[in-house]
Amino acid sequence: MMTNVLLVAKREIRQILAMKSFWLTLLILPVALALGPLLGNSLSNEEPTRVAVVDRSQSGVAEALEVRFAEDDDRNTLRNLSRHVQRYDLESADADAPWAQHDRWYTAEDIAAFREAGGVDAAIEKIEAVRPEGVPEFEPEEPIYTFQPAPAGLVALQGEAFAEAAQELFDSDAADAPEVVLRIGENYPADPRIGLYSANQPRSSFVTVLQEVLTGDLRTQLLAQRGISGDEARAIQSAAPAIAVTTPPPGDGAREALLVRSIVPLALSYILMMSLMLSGSWMLQGSVEERSNKLLESLLACIRPEELMYGKLLGGLSVGLLMILVWAGCAGVAAYATHGVISDMIRPALEPVSSPGVILAILYFFIAGYIGISAIFVAIGAMVDSMSEAQGYLMPVLLGILLPITFLLQMIVAGKEGLMVQVLTWVPLWTPFAVLARLGMGIETWVLIGSGLLLAVAIALELVFIGRLFRASLLSTGHKPTLKRVFARLRAQPQNA
Amino acid sequence: MSTPVLEVRNLVKRFGDVLAVNNLSFSVAPGEIFGFLGGNGAGKTTTLRMVLDIIRPTSGEISVLGSAPDRRQAAAIGFLPEERGLYSGMSAIDTIVYFGRLKGMDTASARSCGMELLERFDLADRAKSDIGDMSKGMAQKVQLATSLVNQPQLLMLDEPFSGLDPVNQGLLENEILRASQRGAAVIFSTHVMQHAERLCDRLLLLRKGRKRFEGTLTEVRRQLPASLVASSKGDLSALPGVASAEPVGAPQDGWQEWQVELDQSVEAASVLEHCSTHGIALRRWDERHASLHDIFVELVGGEGVEE
Repeated sequence: MMTNVLLVAKREIRQILAMKSFWLTLLILPVALALGPLLGNSLSNEEPTRVAVVDRSQSGVAEALEVRFAEDDDRNTLRNLSRHVQRYDLESADADAPWAQHDRWYTAEDIAAFREAGGVDAAIEKIEAVRPEGVPEFEPEEPIYTFQPAPAGLVALQGEAFAEAAQELFDSDAADAPEVVLRIGENYPADPRIGLYSANQPRSSFVTVLQEVLTGDLRTQLLAQRGISGDEARAIQSAAPAIAVTTPPPGDGAREALLVRSIVPLALSYILMMSLMLSGSWMLQGSVEERSNKLLESLLACIRPEELMYGKLLGGLSVGLLMILVWAGCAGVAAYATHGVISDMIRPALEPVSSPGVILAILYFFIAGYIGISAIFVAIGAMVDSMSEAQGYLMPVLLGILLPITFLLQMIVAGKEGLMVQVLTWVPLWTPFAVLARLGMGIETWVLIGSGLLLAVAIALELVFIGRLFRASLLSTGHKPTLKRVFARLRAQPQNA
Repeated sequence: MSTPVLEVRNLVKRFGDVLAVNNLSFSVAPGEIFGFLGGNGAGKTTTLRMVLDIIRPTSGEISVLGSAPDRRQAAAIGFLPEERGLYSGMSAIDTIVYFGRLKGMDTASARSCGMELLERFDLADRAKSDIGDMSKGMAQKVQLATSLVNQPQLLMLDEPFSGLDPVNQGLLENEILRASQRGAAVIFSTHVMQHAERLCDRLLLLRKGRKRFEGTLTEVRRQLPASLVASSKGDLSALPGVASAEPVGAPQDGWQEWQVELDQSVEAASVLEHCSTHGIALRRWDERHASLHDIFVELVGGEGVEE
């Protein structure tokens, strides 16, 4: 029996491997993953937003805004430096530097000290001196906003003419044209209205900072009008609490850690779903070809229907595993090519799936899932006479299988293990997906074993019934598989075929 | 008599209310070419499927090479189904090797036998062509090769001549004779009576799943009374064994043409002998045997599809 099963499986594999669609699909995933970041980089606008301020009041508000945005940029750089240093244990570069201290929200003094020490360039130089091999270099982010002088033609204009000229600038293709223009009137602060002209919807962070700076300036001037000296007024304005910050090291936060630990299990679940849908449709195509080409009788003269069915399942499983091996190989090559950046990320992700028991569980649920769902595809293939007929039956079946999986994966990404996740774990059709996806979050051993046993029993029963359906359907060409007929075939014994 | 390769006893197959095969019994000996004749839906394909264990009988017994039907006997069986088709993306030689392997052959033997068959079928140069790139006739020859690759002891051909051009029909006839000569039992179903007349050692006529006749070609011809055209100076209508005798045209110089129908099972020779011994002058005596086609129409004709 095994020889015939292997022969059928080998033929199935050869047939699928001869399909152009197989090779296209096999390559699409790695290519998409490789192109994704590149396209993402090219599509995302990493250029700073250009801001021009027309300050007719000469009140120094423009300078105050520039200072504030520069301070925010430096604070952001300090935070990123701190995360990098903490992640790779690089504090020895300069233990006294603010970026080597991760216990607080950086104040104006910290930023001043950072600037005094030479800013980000000096920090990188110090870090480079102690950076071990394999640890990536620190790459500072671009500032979000850059301030530039307002075009002379704009400064002279008033009212509607000003707004029209600003719009013309936004519409122009000039590389240095401002994207945001601020107009501060001659009577500011007596007339506190500020004009904000923007090429796009302004970011709320920009408006918030603008409001903070201008509010502070107005209040300082009001305090001065009430007899409080300028220095005292500024001191009052700059009074701020010292916020101590305690966060887990990068990757160790509960939510972050959960996500990292769930990356591989979720990916396994997705891959199982994807490869099943793909190889399932190819198997279906093969079954339909056998029926429509009327070669089933020749085959059944040599082998039993069960051998044909098991051979098809084995062939589909082999193709699915081959696809996964290729994708895993591509991931390995990518990890090697990026000199450890990816592997550094993958290492904690692999942690929950690296024990022999879990690896065995992954293999078991993966293969069981494959057999369980592929059998449905094979059964559909045995019942229909054409691909168009197959599509009609396939769509509701696919929706029935895939929709709960989509909800399940979303819930696990959100870190929820609610009733739906628990229920789907115990429904054999979705058990493999649920268990694989939950491995990162941690799943009780009894649930793992119990759901695994239930799945094995369900698959055994499924194979018995689908075997009957397969046998009874093979030679019944030209009969529409109505529900009544399907149920009759599920009950059919071999002698009644 | 040698042990039959195939023996069927009291075979019955029901599909719900439909009785497809009704108490059928027959046997086929090694080297024998056995014709399985019947109208559409007579139960021929159903019987062959039961012999192959594709479907199981409702009752009765089948013995193939001395044991009940089983796929383990696939190595000794060749089968050409009525509805034919192959994997369009597979080459001719790979297709033959695949079926050879399914019948238990090793790859090398299957390939060697497959190439031999393709050479015989004048397809050696297309061995590596995909079936999808071949003409229908070529693909049919490849399919015939898949049923012959294992040099079967029992060769079963379901309507093998349908759809074949005259050249390929001749090729198939040769292959049937070749298989019989090397000792294989050949059983084939057909509607084309000329092939059955030319090839079959024995025939079985089915009607609505029930056997109407089984025997040799000579025996089957006795199923319809013989007829003859004679020219005599005497009256032939009163002769013993003559069912009817009608004069044809007017007598010339005393000689009258007669259209004579004999009684069932009466040999024309015995009537001739009677004329001779009783001094009845004859100058023409043309025997006309019923054709297999006439017998088929008489015994089976007019049936509708049952399955």
